[in-house]
Amino acid sequence: MPVTKVVMPKLSEQMESGKIIKWLKKEGDRVQSGDILAEVETDKADVEMEAFGSGVLRKILVAAGNKAPVGSLIGVIAEENDDIGAVVAQAGSGAPAAAPSGAKPGMADRPAAVPPQPKSEDPAARKPSPSTGSESPGSRRVQDAVAAASVPQPSGDGGRVKASPLARKIAAQSGVDLKLIQGSGPGGRIVRRDVEAASTAPAAAAVAAAPALRPVAQPAAAGAEYEDLPLSPMRSAIARRMPLSKAPVPHFYVTSEVAMDRAWELREELNGLEGQPKISVNDFIIRACALTLLQHPGVNASFQGESIRVFHRVHMGIAVALEEGLITPVLRDVHAKSLAQIAVEARDLAERARQRKLRTQELSGATFSISNLGMFDVRDFSAIINPPEGAILAVGSVRRVPVVSDEGLGVGRRMALTISCDHRVMDGAMGARFLQDVKKLLEEPLRLLV
Amino acid sequence: MNQFDVVVVGTGPGGYVSAIRAAQLGLSVATVEDDRPGGVCLNWGCIPTKALLRNAEVVHLFEKAADFGITIDRFQADYAAAVKRSRSVADRMAKGVEFLFRKNKITLFPGTGSLTSKNVVEVKGEDGASTLEAGRAVILATGSEPKSLPGVTIDEKTVISSNGAVRNEAKPKSIVVIGAGAVGVEFADVYRSYGVEVTLLEALPRIVPLEDEEVSTQLTRSLSRRGITIKTGAKVSAVKPGGAGVVIDTDGGKLEAEQVLMAVGRGARTKGVGLEALNIALERGFVKVSPTMETSVKGVYAIGDMAGAPLLAHKAMAEGVVAAEAIAGKSPRPVDYGNVPSCTYCRPQIASIGLTEAKAREGGRELAVGKFPFTANGKAVALGDTEGFVKVVADKKTGELLGVHIIGPEATEMIHEFAVGRTLEATLEEMMHTIHAHPTLSEAALEATLAALGHAIHI
Repeated sequence: MPVTKVVMPKLSEQMESGKIIKWLKKEGDRVQSGDILAEVETDKADVEMEAFGSGVLRKILVAAGNKAPVGSLIGVIAEENDDIGAVVAQAGSGAPAAAPSGAKPGMADRPAAVPPQPKSEDPAARKPSPSTGSESPGSRRVQDAVAAASVPQPSGDGGRVKASPLARKIAAQSGVDLKLIQGSGPGGRIVRRDVEAASTAPAAAAVAAAPALRPVAQPAAAGAEYEDLPLSPMRSAIARRMPLSKAPVPHFYVTSEVAMDRAWELREELNGLEGQPKISVNDFIIRACALTLLQHPGVNASFQGESIRVFHRVHMGIAVALEEGLITPVLRDVHAKSLAQIAVEARDLAERARQRKLRTQELSGATFSISNLGMFDVRDFSAIINPPEGAILAVGSVRRVPVVSDEGLGVGRRMALTISCDHRVMDGAMGARFLQDVKKLLEEPLRLLV
Repeated sequence: MNQFDVVVVGTGPGGYVSAIRAAQLGLSVATVEDDRPGGVCLNWGCIPTKALLRNAEVVHLFEKAADFGITIDRFQADYAAAVKRSRSVADRMAKGVEFLFRKNKITLFPGTGSLTSKNVVEVKGEDGASTLEAGRAVILATGSEPKSLPGVTIDEKTVISSNGAVRNEAKPKSIVVIGAGAVGVEFADVYRSYGVEVTLLEALPRIVPLEDEEVSTQLTRSLSRRGITIKTGAKVSAVKPGGAGVVIDTDGGKLEAEQVLMAVGRGARTKGVGLEALNIALERGFVKVSPTMETSVKGVYAIGDMAGAPLLAHKAMAEGVVAAEAIAGKSPRPVDYGNVPSCTYCRPQIASIGLTEAKAREGGRELAVGKFPFTANGKAVALGDTEGFVKVVADKKTGELLGVHIIGPEATEMIHEFAVGRTLEATLEEMMHTIHAHPTLSEAALEATLAALGHAIHI
C-alpha cells in the first residue's frame, strides 16, 4: 500500500484554513478509505473529514484544537512497516499549526537538519508536482508529499487558481488576490474582467492586501480602553466576502409594504391543525418568492461578465443569524415544494446551521436569498447581495399599525419587504414588479396553498 | 401547415450553420432559400472571389517565372475560363451545403420566406407556396446586398456590383472601382492581374480605411507598383453613361472607363422579410438583437449581415451557433465582437484583429508596438514573396495583445495564433515563449512579438 498523506481539505470555496475539532481516530488505528478521520471547523460549518487511503494512521501532526492551512500535512496513513520518516520530517519543519501565518517555508527557510533529499524509490518526488489537478481533497499521495512540502503554496491556499495570464498580470499589478475572486470564464477561469471588477473596488483590494484579517489578537491589559478580538473563521469570511459584493455590485433597493392580516390569520389556522408542521411567516415569504421568481426569471438571475444567467430553478438562500456571524444555507428546488415541506426543511436547515452541522453542498448554489430580521422588531432594512446571486430580499417585522381604509381608521398587520438588486442584471421596474407580485401572493395567501 | 421546431430564413453562412447546430441539438429544422444554398458567401462572394484571386496569383507566378529561372515564351490567361472555374468552385460548395442539410435531416424550402406572425413563415416559391410553423423559434438570416451611391443605379452592365463582377465572363478594358474596402481592392487585384486598367477611388484619406494606417501605406505602395491608379479623398458626384462606357465626375476631375464597380459597402436585406408587420426593431438599418441574437420580438432571432457589423461570414457563423444554442435552451457564450479577425485576400493579403495602433492610443495608454518585415523572414525570401510585415500592438504595462495587423504572404492564415492568444488572454510573454517552427512565415509573428518586447532577434 502506498503511503497516504492526510492534508487539510478545502471544504469551501473561501476556506483558507481549518481547525481540527477532534480526531476520531488515534495514532495506531487502522483506517479504511472513506472512514471519518476527524472533525474540522471551517469558516462556515463543522465538517467531517474522510480518509482517502487505507492503512494505519501512523502519525497525527496537528493536534485537536489547532489550526492548519488548507493543503498542509496533518497526518500520515501508511502500513506499519512503511518508512514515513522522510514525509513527517519534511512536513515537520513547518508543522502548519506552529508556523506563523504568512510564513514562507521555502528552501532557504528549511532547517538544515531536515534531510533535503526524497527517498530514492520516489523519483517523482524530485519534481514539483504537475498533477495538482488530480489531487483529492483530504489526502495526497506521498509521491507528491516532498514536492508539496518544498514548493509551498501561498499561505493557506489549497488548490491551483485558474486564471488567464493577463488576469494574473493585472492582479499582480493592482494588488488583487486571485484567491478571493470568482472567475467568470470557462470552467470558472478568472479572466481580465473579473480582476478589473475586483480592483475597481478599493475595499476589496484592501482586504486582499491586508493579511491583518487573520486572527492577530492583542491580549487586553487590565483597564485598557479597548481590546482586539480575534476574528472567528466565519467573521473573517464575512469580512472578506462582503466588500467583494457591496463595492463591485451596483446595488439598488426597492421597498414595499405588505398587508399581512390574511396571511397571519391563515397561518394561525394552519398551525391550529393537528399533525401539521408549524409554519412561520418566513415560510410564507419563501413560498411566495419561489413562485414569483418563476414568473420573473429576470430576478432569478446572475451576472456572468458578458452574459446574464437566468435560472430555471429556484434555490433559496435563507440567512440564519448565529452568535458569531451569519450563514446562508440553501433550500434547493424550493419552487417545487409545498408550504409544509418548506416549513420542515427550512427549520431543519436553520437548526443544523446553528449546530454548525451543515453539509458543504448545502452552503452554495443559491439563486436568490432572503434575510429576515423580523424577530428583532425591525421596521425595514436593506441587505447586501451575496454574489453571484442577483438579488436578496430583506424582511422586516410584521407590525400592528393604524390603517386607513374606506371604513375609516383601523388596525392592520403590515410588513416591509426591501429587495436589493444587482443593477447589472435588472432595473428598478423589474425589481418593483417582482415585489408587487410577492405582495399580491402574501395578501391573497390562499394562492400559496394551491 | 408544416411544423418544425426551428425555421431558418436564408441559408448563407449564418443560416446554414445555425440550422445544422440546431439539428445537432435535436431540433427539427426547416430552411428557406430564394437563391442557392450557401447564400452570397458561397455563391457570389467569399468563395468564388477566392477562386478568381487564385487565378490572379497563378497569372502573377507565370509572369515572374523568370525570377525562378523558368522561361515561358508566351502564355495566355483566359478570363472567361477563370470565371467558369470560379463558378464550378461555387457550385461544389453549394452542393456541400445541400449534402450537410441531408445529413442533418434539415428540410430545404426553395422560395422567398417572410414572417406572417412571430412563429409562421410563408414561403413563395416557383413550385407554389408553403406555410411553415416554428414551434420554438424563427431565425432570420437574409444577409445583405451591395449598396450604391445616391443617384447611381447598378445595372450590372456598365455599373456593376460584386454580383455582376463575379458572374461576367467578359472583362472590361478599363474599370473604375469606387470604394477601397475589402471588396474593392480584391476585384482591383483580379482585374489588374488580367491586364485591365484599374482606377481605385476611395472617399476616405486612405485605402482599406478600417485597417491600421501602416497597412494602408504598404498596400498603396504594392498596388501602385502593379499599375493600379489610386485616388484617395475622392468624392464621386455623378456616374453617367458616355465616353468609353461610363463617365465619373469626381471633385478631382472626370474619369472615364468601360465599367464602374460599386464597392461602397453593403446594406442589410430587411425588405419583404415581414419585419414591419411584427414591429421588429431596427438600429441604423440593421436588425437590433440581444447577446443571444434574439430580436425585439421574443422567439424571433436574427443573425449575420442583417444583424449588423462586422458584415463577415465567420461572424455570422458564430452568431448562428449562439442563436441555435440559445433556442435549444443552452447558455451559449455570446459572440465577442472585439475579437473577430478581418481578412482581405488581395496580394499582398491583409489580416487583422483587435485595435489599430491609432485606436489603441486613444485611451491614452502606453503601448508596446513591434513590427517585423517579411524581407527578414527566411521562408518569405525562399518563396520570393517578401512584401509586407507583421505588427503587434500591446499594452506596455500588462503585455495585453490589443491588436495585430499583418500584410503579406498568407496573412489570412497567420492571424489565428493571435486570435487564440487573445481568446485565452495570453500576453506578449506567452506568445514569446511559444516556439515557432523554422522556417515558417509565422516566425514573423514571433519576431513582431519580440520586437514589441524590445528584443527581436532577426532584425
